[in-house]
Amino acid sequence: MISNLIYEWRRLWSVRASWIMTFVYLVITGLLGAGPLFLGDPQSNGLNVQTWKGLYSTNANFLCLVMLSVVASQFFGHEYRYGTIRLTLTEFPRRERVLLAKTLVLAAYVTISTFLGWAVLGVVGFMAPEGSIGTEGPGLNINGGEASELWQVLVFGFAYCIVAMSLTMITRNLALGIVLPLLVFAVIENLIVLFSGLANGKMDWIVDVLPFTNGTAWLTHLPDSPNAGLIFTAWVLALYLIGSAMFFKRDA
Amino acid sequence: MRIEARNLDKHFRNVHAVKELSFTVEPGRVTGFLGPNGSGKSTTMRLMLGLDNGGGETLFDGKKLSSHLPVTRTIGAHLDAKFFHPKRTAYSHLRMLGAEAGISKARVHEVLKLVGLESVAKKRPGGFSLGMGQRLGLAGAILADPQVLMLDEPANGLDPQSIQWLRDFLKHYASTGKSVLVSSHLLSEMELLADDVVVIARGNLIAAESMPAFLSRATGSAVVARSPQSDKLSEVLSAQGIASTSDGARTIVIPGQTTDRIGEIAFTNGIALSELSPRTASLEQVFLELTESGQEYRLGETS
Repeated sequence: MISNLIYEWRRLWSVRASWIMTFVYLVITGLLGAGPLFLGDPQSNGLNVQTWKGLYSTNANFLCLVMLSVVASQFFGHEYRYGTIRLTLTEFPRRERVLLAKTLVLAAYVTISTFLGWAVLGVVGFMAPEGSIGTEGPGLNINGGEASELWQVLVFGFAYCIVAMSLTMITRNLALGIVLPLLVFAVIENLIVLFSGLANGKMDWIVDVLPFTNGTAWLTHLPDSPNAGLIFTAWVLALYLIGSAMFFKRDA
Repeated sequence: MRIEARNLDKHFRNVHAVKELSFTVEPGRVTGFLGPNGSGKSTTMRLMLGLDNGGGETLFDGKKLSSHLPVTRTIGAHLDAKFFHPKRTAYSHLRMLGAEAGISKARVHEVLKLVGLESVAKKRPGGFSLGMGQRLGLAGAILADPQVLMLDEPANGLDPQSIQWLRDFLKHYASTGKSVLVSSHLLSEMELLADDVVVIARGNLIAAESMPAFLSRATGSAVVARSPQSDKLSEVLSAQGIASTSDGARTIVIPGQTTDRIGEIAFTNGIALSELSPRTASLEQVFLELTESGQEYRLGETS
């Protein structure tokens, strides 16, 4: 299993795209974190708008996650696009180990990137104007609502990347693995929520089971969505299981 | 290491691509894998490696491939000259492939030098020619010095010098007791390279035997005899029910006979011979005879 992990680690970092996307992720994280601190009013009604906790939940924003999801999609996307999956599976015939190695290395990648993102946000916060970061209250999550706990930022980022990787396993298409989650998260679910509002509650049941609506509700501690975390987890697991089954069953 | 393919079978929707194929690849020999386009050679190789799901099994010294660890010390496969990330350098590509067997950096450089890619080791292979891609694929296959080499059309795109190098390399590789299975469309090359052949057409096994045995199947096998008494020799042969045809001055061709038999007849009848040689059919000739009806994608008649 160690050799599987070494293989995946080398596969990940031996292409420039991984480095570039990680760099872009850090830049976007820094810019999104810096925006409210440097451009906004540091205080509103006498209260600090942002806190350290809120600042550190910046990288749960979908713009940051898209950058991570590009790398996540490449775990299978590059393999199928360039045919290297046949080299991988010749070297490691046990597909469950290949999948486990990819998942673990993805987890490591997301963890390292998230910590680096927090380091960037720390520098941004340190450089922010005096008084723009308070210590009272939960602070602002850039997705709206309360700031998330740090572990939630990490878990949400990993879950988003698992969705991207799973969709790539299912479609065997790198671009779809990146675009589909982004489209659903940023456009389709918002449209469904909008139509639901116009439908006098007849579509509420659909909204209640949307993956990313529930994901962000869990992330931002929305009080009226107690099962949001479970529903989001169910979506992520379902996609991962479908993707895994297709990876095991189909020809390489 | 002996490879035993048993009842390999594969369907693609309505197409029965590989039909219950069974054959063996012996250690210490180069086995040529031949068949027309679309005959199922590449699919068979993928089945043998477990890359495609299908019927049957392939055993390596009696065990499944996944039982041999590290796998890359057991088998090295090169299935396509373009199986690499175009932005991952040749060196990094091999370093990645060397992970399972713990291949050292020195070995990576050694293999790159062997296949003549040392000067482009740090270059991204997106701009490589087909021949350079073949060399990189071969480098990946031999990296861990495996017991078995499985190569799909490795000579495609190689220049004549490289083809000769590849032939010498594979012959030497097999001579050390390792097994080599190589598919190719270059029949003249295969005739020089392979000790055994496995021939398939439309997914069916046509032949699995040694190269001499395969060549002897040709209907065109004959003996050529040159003699100042060629007319007399023809008469003697005819008297014994052996047909012969004239092939120029003082030369006759006797189909379906051996040099031993004709030499004996000539000696018994006091006929001097100035040449007695076998005319063996070429691999191409035999291959075309045996696979004519099994060609998946037929060509039109030339005018």
